[in-house]
Amino acid sequence: MRTGHMKLSPGQLIALSDSRVVWGWALAGGVALLLLPFAVSNYGLTLVVSAFVAVMGAVALNMLTGQTGLISLGQSGFLAVGAYANAILLSDYGLPVWLTLPAAGLATALVSLVVGVPSLRLKGLYLAITTLAFSFIINHAILYAEPLTHGPNGIFVKGATLFGLDLQRGMPLYYLALGLTLVTILAALNMTRTRIGRAWIAIRDHDIAARAMGIDLVRFKLLAFAVSSFFVGLAGALLSLQLRFINVDVFGLILSIEALAMIILGGLGSIAGAVLGAVFLSLLPEALRLFFGLVSDPNSTFYTNYVFEIRGIAYGVVIVAFLRFKPDGLIGMWRDIRKYWSNWPLAY
Amino acid sequence: MEFFLLLVSSGLVAGATYGLIAIGFALIYKSTGVVNFAQGELVMLTAYIGFSLSNSFGLSFLPLLLLTIPVSMAVGLLLERIFIRPMLGEPVFAIVMVTVGLAVILRGLTIIIWGSQPANFDAGIPVTVVRLGSVPFYPAQLILIAALAVVVLAAWLFLRFTRYGMAMRAVAINETAALLAGISVSRIHALAWVLSSGIAAVAGVLFAANFKLAPDLWFQGLKSFPAVILGGMDSIVGAALGGIVIGLIESLAQGYIGEGMREIAGFVVIVLVLMVRPYGLFGSRNIERV
Amino acid sequence: MKRAAFYACLGLALASQVHAADPGVSDTEIKIGDVSIMTGPAAFVGRGFAIGSKVAMEEINAAGGINGRKIVVVTEDDGYIPSRSFQALTKLLEVDKIFALNGTSGTANVLAMMPLITEHKLPTLVSQAPAPLVYQPVRPTVFTFGATYDNAFYAQLKYIHEKVAKPDAVYGLIRQDDDFGKDVELGFERAVKAFKLNAPLRIRFKKGTSNFAAEVAQLRKAGVSVLANGAIFAGAANILAEARKLDMPLTAAQVWSEGIPASAALLAPAGYDFLVGDYVSLVGPANDRFRELAKRFVPEGELKNISRYTYVSYIGMKALAHAMQQCGRELTRACTVEKLRQIKGLETGGLSAPVDFGNEQQLSGTAVAVYQYDAKAATFKALTGFEQY
Repeated sequence: MRTGHMKLSPGQLIALSDSRVVWGWALAGGVALLLLPFAVSNYGLTLVVSAFVAVMGAVALNMLTGQTGLISLGQSGFLAVGAYANAILLSDYGLPVWLTLPAAGLATALVSLVVGVPSLRLKGLYLAITTLAFSFIINHAILYAEPLTHGPNGIFVKGATLFGLDLQRGMPLYYLALGLTLVTILAALNMTRTRIGRAWIAIRDHDIAARAMGIDLVRFKLLAFAVSSFFVGLAGALLSLQLRFINVDVFGLILSIEALAMIILGGLGSIAGAVLGAVFLSLLPEALRLFFGLVSDPNSTFYTNYVFEIRGIAYGVVIVAFLRFKPDGLIGMWRDIRKYWSNWPLAY
Repeated sequence: MEFFLLLVSSGLVAGATYGLIAIGFALIYKSTGVVNFAQGELVMLTAYIGFSLSNSFGLSFLPLLLLTIPVSMAVGLLLERIFIRPMLGEPVFAIVMVTVGLAVILRGLTIIIWGSQPANFDAGIPVTVVRLGSVPFYPAQLILIAALAVVVLAAWLFLRFTRYGMAMRAVAINETAALLAGISVSRIHALAWVLSSGIAAVAGVLFAANFKLAPDLWFQGLKSFPAVILGGMDSIVGAALGGIVIGLIESLAQGYIGEGMREIAGFVVIVLVLMVRPYGLFGSRNIERV
Repeated sequence: MKRAAFYACLGLALASQVHAADPGVSDTEIKIGDVSIMTGPAAFVGRGFAIGSKVAMEEINAAGGINGRKIVVVTEDDGYIPSRSFQALTKLLEVDKIFALNGTSGTANVLAMMPLITEHKLPTLVSQAPAPLVYQPVRPTVFTFGATYDNAFYAQLKYIHEKVAKPDAVYGLIRQDDDFGKDVELGFERAVKAFKLNAPLRIRFKKGTSNFAAEVAQLRKAGVSVLANGAIFAGAANILAEARKLDMPLTAAQVWSEGIPASAALLAPAGYDFLVGDYVSLVGPANDRFRELAKRFVPEGELKNISRYTYVSYIGMKALAHAMQQCGRELTRACTVEKLRQIKGLETGGLSAPVDFGNEQQLSGTAVAVYQYDAKAATFKALTGFEQY
């Protein structure tokens, strides 16, 4: 394993990764993901697609909260905007799906600019609560703007076909989700390596200092909102394709909290961490199901009666335990392990 | 006119709940710099504790409250010990997220322990209608409004005149300086949680007595955010006033505009308020970085 | 040699293909799925529902099963959240391999599951959320049992208009701002139009509201004396409590969920003798008979969870079983759907009007009876029999 870094040119500094090993693993992972649909059942595929949606949401939130330091409790609202935009354009206006997906992202980005404006004046919890307020307001607007959103009736999402493939089920949906997720992750990685990403991190670390260095706070904060929300909107659109029916109940407040839990669990500010956290938390319910299947006796109704509560408690415990014992999250754990192996037998 | 008075009276009742919950937020925020996202859950939990105590001892209102408050305080202390104390010295954001985790845990536990069905819970308060002038009230509603006044007064006296109250204010102004002056900051943090849980018990029991006991009571915590923001996070009197103002706005918005406006009126108001005064109406200007 | 082996394999494959019935049917078992609200604030719906499925299942199995096959019910929780219903049904279809579906949770939840249901041609009985959105347009394998909220409210308002209310009564509506509320409003409007009622006020409220003081003040200002109360549980109770505070003489029509003993107990302190319209029986000999039956199969502690949702799932399961019985040993989904369509006059022991699916909408049980709650005695009494509205 490699232990040190020696960068000789600026190009090396901003390269995605200069390690052959990392590229190798990424390639292997990519191939494994490409082949996955041939190995798992349909149900497994559904779970994986849900995990992809979570990964997109978490990576996008990480740009805003992890990198720019703007805490948002309004993710569920943005997700709803993306999902509804996609559903309306697809089902009601019959636009092709290759157009509605980016349009859903753009629509969400536009809405987020409205939410982003207060962020120019607010910090920390005031901003968190404002975004929370906006998610309530968005929910209300969707419910009451009946001519556009069908209000309480919800929308059936149909007609997403590309090259004759139905993108709403099975393998085509999986590959679409995989593609969008990779695009999101790559965009996040690339964004971090540019002037924009560095500006965001500077704002997070100290906004006044950042301003003194010539970073236009208005521009970059709004940009963070717009870019992050674009991908959240995309995730919402993907979710709407998968569910095939959406209404406001789908986008509960709990989604916003889950998204935050994911990036905390993974390690705030780290893209790989966001991915890990999202995968871990979205597969947690299945893991719990298996666990209770093993330990409890089959006649016990405790798990079936309280599955939602148990899941909630598990989320809570994961958040609390990680913040307490591993504030760097899963990615921090990974770094520790790596350090342990490379330094062995000398501890740290 | 009668319609207007009715709306005002119901706004006061709703506002008193928000005010009580907001004071709970403010106490913890003031002394620890943390917004306790589990405040609504504390209210729910303590209401259920009161329910259980009332079922097992069959007490009338005052004894019930006098028993529920200390029990809730003990629960608050326990929660602070387990969840918050170990986080001392961590970034504020981390502690806030711990309270978010705590909130989710409490929500699940409450349903597992008490079930999800709503229940009647009169807290030993009679249900005969009382008239003040032409406006009718249930006794529980009047008690709710009175409770807000008592709590504000008690909190003010406590912070102004008692040793611990002054220590609390000192910690709120400058934690390090307070520490240097020999104040045990960790004890003050625990005290804030204890007091806040006690106030949560008052809010919880009275809310349940007015609007039935149901597990979605935690949502009142989120609905109180507008009051907290309006009151400026760290002012007790501000929180109480913020609660009343939001309660009135909601009630009048529903009465004169309708269309489900009450449920979002508060949030619309704070978005507007924060645009103009990012530190609330009564808050101090310096905003903590999170 | 190789070629022979190949043909043998092919033959075997084909044979097993012919032999294999649809998913969920083995030589000894038939798996029936149930997506229910087992957790969250509406969990009592699922709890009641589960008892009905269990009683029907045990009763059928004790009598020898369906042509020798035992029924097995697999329940998945969805917590009343549509996206989770979708996940739950995916699991039931892919992992448990169910043959048919009896429990379908709420309206939005059925709609979320609808693409899967049509895709798998899954025989489905919707008895919990019989809303027009479910059976219009009609899906070939979906059968709906029950009246709409529209019917239930129309029935109650008709009764009130004809038997209870004074001629100068003022009618008001308060309803949730979702699909369920819309359906309630439909029934209200229908009654207003049919009987030329004086109905100046319709109020929408947000789901999850607990404080209705402003709404009730609006009702009082408008002088409402007959209220179509579209809130449920604590909400419905809080509305009546506020009305009592304002000393309003009200005749109140309720949603059928208020016929559940637990929610009736919440409404009781307000002291109004409210009405409920329902497509299953709330009191009577049929209910007593069912209770006796349930005692044989359900633990003592769970009997208190028996509610209207129990009868609804019991009836649904019986209808499914009846259709499957008709198919004989060669049980397929297509046959079950065909036989469901032919169900005519299937008796439910008085728990509801007889079941008939032979119509274009594959809809039955639309007859509604009106009940009144006696707040002092804490019992319901029937005001009308099952009638079509």
